[in-house]
Amino acid sequence: MPGMPTDGGGAIVPFTGEPGQGAPPVRPIRHGVAPPIFRTYVSWSSGNLLQVACLRPPNSEGGGGTVEVVGSVVEVNLGDGGSGGSEAEEKIDEAEMRRIEYGSVPAFALLQSRKNSLADAATMSHVPSVPDHEEWWQYVLEYSKTIGNLLGNPDPPVFMIEDPMTILKFREKPTSLRAAWELLEIFYVDKHLQGWLPERLVDWLADFDSLLSTMVSTVYSKLSNFQKKLINLQIVEDDPDYWNGLSAALSVGWLDIVVNMLRFHGSYQLDQMDNRETENGLVEAVAVLVSTMPRLRPNLPTGKLGQCCKTRPDFIKAWEKWRGQVTKLECSAFWIQCGHQKTRDGLKNLLHIMMGNVNKLTDATSHWLELFASHFLYIKPFTVGFEGMHHLAQKCIQLKPSSGTNGLTGLILGVLSENTEVVLAECTKNFGPWLVTHAMELLTADNDYADVMLHEERPNLGGISIEELHRLVYAQVLCSHSLTWQIAPTYLSSCLNQGLGLLEILLLKQPIQDNCLVLKTLEICRLYELENVSTIIMKIAGIYHWKHGRKGTGVYWFQQAHDKVCLDRIAQQLFEHIGKSVTDDSFKQWEGLLELLGSDIGSAGGLEFLHRYRDFKKSLQQALDRRCGARQTVDFLIQLMKNPSTPQRFWLPLLHDSVELLNSKLSPLMNVAETTLLLNKLQELSMAKLRPDFSSNHLPSHAISSVRLALASNLARAILGDP
Amino acid sequence: MADSPSFRRHPLASSVDLVRWLPSSSTSPSGRLLAAAVHDPTSGPAASSIHLLPLSDPGSPLASLQLPSRATALRCSPAALAAATSSGSLHFLPSSFDSDAAVSVPGGAGFHVGPVRGLDCGEEEWVTAGEDGRVHLVGGAADGRVVARRLWDGKGMSGYEAARWASPVEFATGGAGCGVQWWDRRKGDAVVAQCNGIWGRGIVTGMVHSIDIHPSRKHICVVGGSSGTIFAWDLRWPQQPIPLSGVGLNGTAEPVCESEVWEVLFDTYTQSSDIISSASARILPVMMCSEDGILAVVEQDERPFELLAEACAINSFDIDPQNPSDVVCALEWESIGVLTRGRDAMAEE
Repeated sequence: MPGMPTDGGGAIVPFTGEPGQGAPPVRPIRHGVAPPIFRTYVSWSSGNLLQVACLRPPNSEGGGGTVEVVGSVVEVNLGDGGSGGSEAEEKIDEAEMRRIEYGSVPAFALLQSRKNSLADAATMSHVPSVPDHEEWWQYVLEYSKTIGNLLGNPDPPVFMIEDPMTILKFREKPTSLRAAWELLEIFYVDKHLQGWLPERLVDWLADFDSLLSTMVSTVYSKLSNFQKKLINLQIVEDDPDYWNGLSAALSVGWLDIVVNMLRFHGSYQLDQMDNRETENGLVEAVAVLVSTMPRLRPNLPTGKLGQCCKTRPDFIKAWEKWRGQVTKLECSAFWIQCGHQKTRDGLKNLLHIMMGNVNKLTDATSHWLELFASHFLYIKPFTVGFEGMHHLAQKCIQLKPSSGTNGLTGLILGVLSENTEVVLAECTKNFGPWLVTHAMELLTADNDYADVMLHEERPNLGGISIEELHRLVYAQVLCSHSLTWQIAPTYLSSCLNQGLGLLEILLLKQPIQDNCLVLKTLEICRLYELENVSTIIMKIAGIYHWKHGRKGTGVYWFQQAHDKVCLDRIAQQLFEHIGKSVTDDSFKQWEGLLELLGSDIGSAGGLEFLHRYRDFKKSLQQALDRRCGARQTVDFLIQLMKNPSTPQRFWLPLLHDSVELLNSKLSPLMNVAETTLLLNKLQELSMAKLRPDFSSNHLPSHAISSVRLALASNLARAILGDP
Repeated sequence: MADSPSFRRHPLASSVDLVRWLPSSSTSPSGRLLAAAVHDPTSGPAASSIHLLPLSDPGSPLASLQLPSRATALRCSPAALAAATSSGSLHFLPSSFDSDAAVSVPGGAGFHVGPVRGLDCGEEEWVTAGEDGRVHLVGGAADGRVVARRLWDGKGMSGYEAARWASPVEFATGGAGCGVQWWDRRKGDAVVAQCNGIWGRGIVTGMVHSIDIHPSRKHICVVGGSSGTIFAWDLRWPQQPIPLSGVGLNGTAEPVCESEVWEVLFDTYTQSSDIISSASARILPVMMCSEDGILAVVEQDERPFELLAEACAINSFDIDPQNPSDVVCALEWESIGVLTRGRDAMAEE
C-alpha cells in the first residue's frame, strides 16, 4: 500500500478502507530526509515493527555540494503509544499474558498425556474412543479449573473489613478472558451441574456483568453510579436511583445486595423508628422474602442469599409457598398505612419482580443478557436445553435491541445456537490464539460433532485439522517472543502432521552465540529425541566459536557433534600454526586446548597428533634437563613416527628435536629395529622432498644430514651393544 | 503442582537469569533483600539490569542497576554486589545500593571479550574467568577505583564457565571440556592440578557450569555440569573424582537429573546422614538446580532428596548464608521462588 507524503512535515497517513471508523491514527515519522520525497516503501518487520523507507528523487540538484541524505529507513513501533485505543476495557498486559501462557503449559501437557494414554488403552482393548470415556470429562474439568485459576480468582479476599455502606464488594477486576473461559466451562464441561445451568448463568452474570458493555448502562454500572452518589445522600429513599438500583439488582438475582441496600432505608434509623413503624415493617418483610427466595441449585457460596433446592419437586414446593407469601404481602392492607409514596411504589415494584412480571423485569434490566437471566430466575426456572434458551435469548434481544453485542454476548449466542463454528470464530476474533487453543479441549469434551469437526483432516488446510491449525498459530505467537519460545515445543509436539517439522525449524533458528542458550535448545532436542537437529546445532555453534577465536569452545562443540570432518580441518590449521612456532615451545598456551582433547583420543580426529606431540615435547624437555629417563622420550618418538595420523611434515622436526638427546648419551637409546624404522622414515622424507607438493619447514638445510648422522651413530652403537 | 506453604512463587514480568541473597544488615528498614539479574528483551536499552528486591514484596524493586548486556554472573561480598555480563564487563554496586556510586570495568580487549561466567569474591580480590580464556584478578573496589590484573590469557584455546576461591591464594576454574583447574598464586599464578571430570556413556567431555568449595574443607571442590553430572574433586586424590550424580555412571550414583546442572552449592542446612564419618571422608551434602526444573540435595552414596520439581528450568539458586533454611531460586518462567525449609520437613526424611 503506497503511502502519500503530505505537505505538513512528512507524516505518513495510512488509508483505512472503511469509512465510519473515525479518524485514522496519524504517526509522525522523523526520517531526516529533506523534501521532496520521491518514493515511500512500507513493509512489516518483526513483531509490531513497521519499516518505512523514504527516498529522494535520484540526481536531484545537490545544492552547495554538501552530501545530502538521499534516503533513510525508519522503524515504527505500532505497539506503543496506543493511538486510537478506544478500548477502555480491562486489558491484560503482555507480562500478565505471558504468566498465563506459562501457567497453562503443565495443565495442557498433562491433559494431552492423559488423552494419549486413554487412546492407547482404547486401541488395546477396543473400548470406546477417548471422549466417551467416563473419566475423560473429569480430566477436562480438572484442566479447566486449573486454567481458570490462572486467569484470576473472582472470590474476594477473605479477611477484609468492609464498610456496611459498600454495595458492590471490592474484587479483583474481572477479565473477559476469564469470563469467556468460565462460560465455555459452564456449557461444555461441567456435567455435574448441567441440571442447574440457569443458576450458573446467573452466577456468571454476577461475576462478569461489568464487562458486558461500556456504552450502555448495565446493572453493575447503575449500582456503581449509585454507590458514588450514596455518600452525599441524606434521605436515600427519596432518590429514584435507590429504587432503580434495588429493582435492577433484584431482577438479576443479586439478593445479598438487595437486602443490604434495603437496610439503608431511612426507617431503620433509630430516631425515625417510632413514626415509621409500618413502613419499616414492610421494608423488612420484603427483605425477608428476598432472602428466602428458593433457588434451584445444590448450594450457595457464603454470603449469597436464598434457599437451595436440589431437586425439582423440592423446588416447586418451596417456590409455591414463597410465591404465596409474596402475593399475600402484595395484597396486604398495610400498604395503605405506609405514608411514604416512593417507598410504597418501590417495594411494590420489587414484589412484582418477584412475582415474575415481564414488564417490570424488562424495565429493571438494561442489557439483554440481564433480562435473559431474570427470566430464568422469575419466569422460567426450569428452562433446559439449548433450543429453549436460544429462543429466549432471541426474544430478549428483541426487547433490548440497544445493548449491542461484544465478544462475550457473541460467544453466548454461538453456544446457544449449538454452532461450534460460530463459537470458534468468536473466540478467535475476540480472545486470541491462547484461548482458542486451550478452549478446544473444552469444546470437544462431550460433543461428538465438535470432536469430528475439529479433528477432521482437511485438504484445504493442507491436510491438517482445525485443532492443529489453531495450535500451530498459537505456537507461532509463542515463537515470536524470545521469552516464550521455549514453551512452543509443547504445542508443536501435539500437532501430528506439521508440528515436528516446525519444531525442527524453530530449534535451528535459535541463537547460538550464548553457550547457555544453546544448552537450553539442546535440552529440548533431547526431550523430543531430535538427535540430528542437536548435531546440526552443535556444529553451527562450533563454527561460530571457532570463527570468533574461541577455539577451545569451538573444538568442544565439534567433539560433542562427533564432527570428524571439521576436527580434521581444524587440526590442519593448527599444524600450520604449530609448524611455525614449534621452536619457541609455546606449548603452554595450547595446554588448555590439548587438555580438552583428553586422553580419550577417539573423538579428536586429526587433533590426536597434537596431544601426543605435546607429550613428546614435555618429555624431551625433561630428559634434556635430566629430570627423567630418556627412554620414555624415545618411546613417544617411536609411537609418533609409527602412527599414521602424524603428518609427514612433522617427521623431520620431530627427528631434529631428538638429535641433541641422541647425541648426549654414550649408550644407544634405541635398538636396531627402532633405529632402522627411523632411518626408513628419513629416507621416505628425502624422496618426498623431490615432489612438488612438499611443504618445507624452517629448519636449517643441514637438518637431514645431522639427523642421519645421529641415527647412524646410534645404529652403530646399537649393533655393537647387541648381544 | 500446588504450592506448598513453604514455597512461594513471585512473578517478576521479565526473565530472571540469576538470583542471590544479600547479606542482611540490621539497619536495613526493608528487611531481607534479594538481588536478581533480570532480562526483558522488549524494554529496549534497559533490557538487562540488576534489581534489588525486598523479600517481603519481590515484585517491586527497591533499586536497580542497568547493565550493558545480559548478566552472566552475580556474586555479593559484604562490601559490594558484583555482576559480570555477556559483553565482558564487570560492575560493582556498593552495599549502599546507590547506583550512582557503581563502578565498572568495561568489556573489550583490555579485559574480557565475550561472556564472563566465572566470578567470585575472595578476601581482597575478585577473580573473573571468561569464555575467551582470560583470567583476571580485580581489586580495590572499595576505594572507588577498580584495577584488573591479567593472570592468564588462554587466547580462546580454552573457555572458562566457573571460578571459585578456595583460599586467598588458591582458586578453581572450570569450563567447556576442560574440566576443573586448580590455580595457585604462590606457584607463579599457574594451574597446578587438573581434573577432566567424570562424563560417561559416550560423552567424552562436558561443560562445567558451577564450582563450590566448602570454607572448612578447602581441598575439595564440588562441580556441576552437563548431563546431570555432579562430582567432587579432592586435591589429595586428584586422579579420582568422586561421582555424586550423573548419567551412565555404573551404579555408583543415581542421576538426580539428566540435563544441565546449572549451579551447585554446599548445603549447610542439611545434616549429613552419617555425622560421625562425615568428619573424615564423606562429601558434605550439596544442593543443585537443573534445566529440567529440579532443586535437590545430593549426598555421596545416598538417594537425592528432591526439594522442588518445577515444570520449567531453575536457572540459579542461592542459600541464605545467614538463614540456611531459606533458599531462593530463579525460575525460567519469569519468576523467582522462595523456599523455606522447616525442621519438620527434614524430620520426615
